[in-house]
Amino acid sequence: MTDLIPTTAFGTTTARTATHGALSMAEDVTTALASVALRRGADVPVPLGLPLPGPGGWAGADGAMAVCMGPDQWLILGADGAGGDFAADIAAAAPDCSVTEQTDGWVILDIRSKDDADGAPMAELLTRLVNLDPATLAPGRATRSQTGHLGIIALRLAPDRLLLLGLRSAAESLWQHLDGTLRRLAVPR
Amino acid sequence: MIIPHPLLGPRDSQEFTIMGDAKLLARPDGLADGAEAAFFDYLYLRDNPAGLHRELWYHEQGDRSWLVVTRDTLTHEILGAELASDVARRLAEGAA
Amino acid sequence: MTRITGGLIDRSQTLNFTFDGKRYAGHPGDTLASALLANGVRLMGRSFKYHRPRGVVAAGSEEPNALVTVGSGARATPNTRATVVELFDGLQATSQNRWPSLAVDALGVNDLLSPFFAAGFYYKTFMWPKSFWEKLYEPIIRRAAGLGKLPMQADPDAYDKGYLHCDLLVIGGGAAGLAAALTAARAGAQVVLADEDFRLGGRLLAESHALDDAPPTDWLAGVTAELRSLPNLRILTRTTVFGAYDHGIYGAVEHVSDHLAEPGGRVRQTLWRITAKRSLLAAGAIERHIPFANNDRPGVMLAGAMRAYANRWAVTPQARDGDRVAIFANNDDGHRTALDLMARGVPIFGVIDPREDAPRLGECQLFAGGQVTGTQGRLGLSSIRIAHQGRNDWYECAALGVSGGWNPNLHLAAHHRGRPVWDDALQAFVPGPDGPPGLCAIGAAAGQGTTAAALASGAKGAQDALRDLGIAASLPDLPVAEDHSAPPAPIWHVPGPGRAWVDFQNDVTVKDIALAHRENMRSVEHMKRWTTLGMATDQGKTANVTALAVMAELTGQSIPQTGTTVFRPPYTPVAISALSGGDPGTHFKPTRLTPTHHWAAERGAVFIESGQWMRAQYYPRPGETHWRQSVDREAQAVRAGVGICDVTTLGKIDVQGGDAAAFLDRLYANTMSTLKVGRVRYGLMLREDGFVYDDGTCARLAQDHFVVTTTTANAGLVYRNMEFARQGLWPDLDVQIISTTDAWAQIAVAGPKSRALLERVVDDADLSNEAFPFMACDTLTVCGGLRARLFRISFSGELAYELAVPARYGAALMDRLMAKGADLGVVPYGLEALNVLRIEKGHCTAAEVNGQTTAQMLGLGRMVSQKKDALGVVLSRREGLVGERRALVGLMPADPATPLVGGAHLFTAGAAQKTETDQGWITSVCYSPHLNSHIGLGFLENGADRLGEEITAANPLAGTDVTVRVVSPHFLDPEGGRLRD
Repeated sequence: MTDLIPTTAFGTTTARTATHGALSMAEDVTTALASVALRRGADVPVPLGLPLPGPGGWAGADGAMAVCMGPDQWLILGADGAGGDFAADIAAAAPDCSVTEQTDGWVILDIRSKDDADGAPMAELLTRLVNLDPATLAPGRATRSQTGHLGIIALRLAPDRLLLLGLRSAAESLWQHLDGTLRRLAVPR
Repeated sequence: MIIPHPLLGPRDSQEFTIMGDAKLLARPDGLADGAEAAFFDYLYLRDNPAGLHRELWYHEQGDRSWLVVTRDTLTHEILGAELASDVARRLAEGAA
Repeated sequence: MTRITGGLIDRSQTLNFTFDGKRYAGHPGDTLASALLANGVRLMGRSFKYHRPRGVVAAGSEEPNALVTVGSGARATPNTRATVVELFDGLQATSQNRWPSLAVDALGVNDLLSPFFAAGFYYKTFMWPKSFWEKLYEPIIRRAAGLGKLPMQADPDAYDKGYLHCDLLVIGGGAAGLAAALTAARAGAQVVLADEDFRLGGRLLAESHALDDAPPTDWLAGVTAELRSLPNLRILTRTTVFGAYDHGIYGAVEHVSDHLAEPGGRVRQTLWRITAKRSLLAAGAIERHIPFANNDRPGVMLAGAMRAYANRWAVTPQARDGDRVAIFANNDDGHRTALDLMARGVPIFGVIDPREDAPRLGECQLFAGGQVTGTQGRLGLSSIRIAHQGRNDWYECAALGVSGGWNPNLHLAAHHRGRPVWDDALQAFVPGPDGPPGLCAIGAAAGQGTTAAALASGAKGAQDALRDLGIAASLPDLPVAEDHSAPPAPIWHVPGPGRAWVDFQNDVTVKDIALAHRENMRSVEHMKRWTTLGMATDQGKTANVTALAVMAELTGQSIPQTGTTVFRPPYTPVAISALSGGDPGTHFKPTRLTPTHHWAAERGAVFIESGQWMRAQYYPRPGETHWRQSVDREAQAVRAGVGICDVTTLGKIDVQGGDAAAFLDRLYANTMSTLKVGRVRYGLMLREDGFVYDDGTCARLAQDHFVVTTTTANAGLVYRNMEFARQGLWPDLDVQIISTTDAWAQIAVAGPKSRALLERVVDDADLSNEAFPFMACDTLTVCGGLRARLFRISFSGELAYELAVPARYGAALMDRLMAKGADLGVVPYGLEALNVLRIEKGHCTAAEVNGQTTAQMLGLGRMVSQKKDALGVVLSRREGLVGERRALVGLMPADPATPLVGGAHLFTAGAAQKTETDQGWITSVCYSPHLNSHIGLGFLENGADRLGEEITAANPLAGTDVTVRVVSPHFLDPEGGRLRD
């Protein structure tokens, strides 16, 4: 175990959080990421017991999730795996696949709407963030898109929960964009 | 514009970049006789018609698919889109 | 005061506001225009060119005259139509284009000089001398003729951007739009209803006739309540749909807090990009006026607007109680204004109707077959002249309502080159079939102008639109409404002496159109440009059709033969702030930060933009007063000991698969398949046209696994090209790629003591030259088990490595390297020192690889394999490229203290400096602390054969020539011994 102390995507040692009105967001610094791409003729694997979803979808649960990145390519999210060698674990579970370490390639932001079962604040937030038909990011759906000129991977985990992955190097710009958007939405009309 | 992505459905063209004539998929064999002339045609004699055009679009802020989109350059009407890899495979089989 | 009873204003509250500093009061529900009229203020502006006194003409967004500046300081918004400004307490409005005051405007003299300002005046007058245009004429004209002024301060308010997707977009919330929205929303469709007004209802708010025997507001209240309760409908009031774009995309601005004195943290406006499968244009109709002599006097307004002010806002355009009002109309609808005003107790002097058979619709004087031929009154109307039955007499009259019929408000239907078509029965243009696909007009916008027809066409329009989408909708029960309609008589203007205004905002008269015609501007497009008709901020909403009719009369053609109206986005002006969205300033463009950014910032690093990235440029130490001191020190420390530098910004692409090596062979001009596992090779990538595109390294981590690097600038483009090659050129190769640029913090460790430093951080790895030679790579662990990748590559020409660790450990690794290397003299170095080190070695960057250079020019011609097919290889052999004689050289000034300039051109000593004698150019320059001289790299004709020659580096911009000696581009250690030690 290394004695080097990791920093977050924002250069600090504790995860950044913010709350504005009904919406809050928090950096997730513990989830590990690895990409899985099918090689020619390979069978679709079931890493960590995850059925790999088709285009526009994600599968799994809080412990481990898979999201479709593109044709024959997925991103696997493993809870609390960021300290280990997640890609090696996935490679073992996905033979005949090209597996690539992605954990530190992305900043993961977990956006939740509090005390709200119907997801209205989240739906309103999505109208400000992404130019997508709401069905594209209905609960259970996921997609790559852009917000504020930045590429993102978005997973609608639940009516009141959205997971956003953005380039780690652009974390600060993404945060400023999201924080400003949340802040503006929090002001009653 | 809205690009009808064959895998993801309608997506705004904001997510895409465009590279023009889909003829770029028909890359000549660099080791064949007359390759230089063939490459000259391939690279420089591309069409830019007023009307129906098959063009390459890249879903850069999306799933990174290259698409061949058939578009009327006069009206911007889009008549179809397919994965460039499917088109390329057909080309390779000689059935463009 | 001319406030009357009734209206949709809340008299229980009083709102105080000022106009030109004077205090007035109004009520919630008022617009600035209605409140000013209620206070007897008729003079609201000065005209653009002639500075004529002007009052409000319309009651909606088509208003051409009443342009005011709203707000003060940084929030001052010029050219705002008083008719759409919702009144709030504390509102400050200021008139424009006048000096010293609105009532006494010195430039009113322009009006007396009007014979000199006729159509085409500028083009004819300010032609000579040419140089006077920019220096003299234009500044004077700009000052004399114009609109409001921008505050020239940063916008203090927040804005937002949003995206809506729906089945049906309904543009306009009047009778037709509400019927459509109700029909569609009840059917379960996703609907967006947008209306520019702050209250739904459209023209129904302005009319007195009953719906189901009750005031229209009763029906409106019920419908609005139902619509607000439906979750599948989004109502956007105060929202202007300003443009129709491809494939059902619409731009709209929601005025979120423009109607509040203080935004209080709210955004001021939201820019909506609405993607609609179908859309209905329910924008109503715009009344046209009938030009006659001096028809622009305050007090003359559109009859429908006059009716709206009376019914909705309970104000009349009278200056004083008891003033007489007249109506000039060529259609029955105009008479209704007289009826409504009489019903409200306003004295009507009479109705002047050019139709000989004009109906007598109310108990007032009727001038059938009459025309208004003139007006009088200093800053507002006091009398009108009526030609009737052979007489032409003056009559006292304080307000005149004019109606020349209604034009369907088809603006948005004319975007996308949609051509309106002429409807002879309606005597108006209606939306044509070739407008924006998916957009259909309903209600008055489609020529269905009566309330009954509008309601029915709205419901039917929604039903039809949804049927296209496979959604069945049933028609709602609609209220019984009036359905009387009669087209106007084709009377377009009143001929005669005097100036009759057609386009109020740009000050264009019937005479100007006639003059343009005489000067052979026969095409409507030429007439528009010669007279500037329709080219003001209102795009001639109240002027264009009338102008066409006047032209048609002059040419003897029909109106549709003469031309048609063209409208372009935006429907009404849109603030640039709204378009820029919610991330102003430095956040408008995203920046990327390296994993060691904060670490460097804490050490006082100076940063420099490098594409999207911010990179440490140099690390100044106390006492260093000039950047060169820091850079020289850093560069020297590397060559003498060891330095560390974050090179994460270089693109890193993971390439895997059974055919990964074959794939790279086709991407790079040199061969990668022969690379052994655990080794790195320099890679040269060409564009298909044979020029150099990018360079980097390929490291083979396993038989089927490579990591390739790109330059910082081209990372995204190379990745895009790789995807194109993988998907579009060779889809049958078994290869998978993904970017890993951000995943790894990559630190260059360079200098003769770099091995010694690294040996202190790696876990059990043999870094000896034998075990880990130049161009070796491996995966290993550092600092007690942290997974890492080590590459022995060198950009500085020294013994050097690049060490990659998961990005989250980048900053900690820097700390560790600094701590472990203290006794070795380790320094962090920035981009500037990195640049010095590479120039001293003749290594290339984007300055050399700029899209115009060949492998041969870079001295890399032999790397281009002739045995295989790869991108660009075939055309790199073409004529013109193979004969290239320019080659990369090093350049040293004869006087080492003389700086060189990048971009300077090279000439044979003593030669004339012309394009024909140009021998090349300088690409990169720096000061070399190791050579104690300024040095440079450049491309020089026959450069390889000219070592030792003294030539001239010319900088014609500064007028300086520097004598430079041609040397090898490898200033230091040309054999490359150091990096192999």
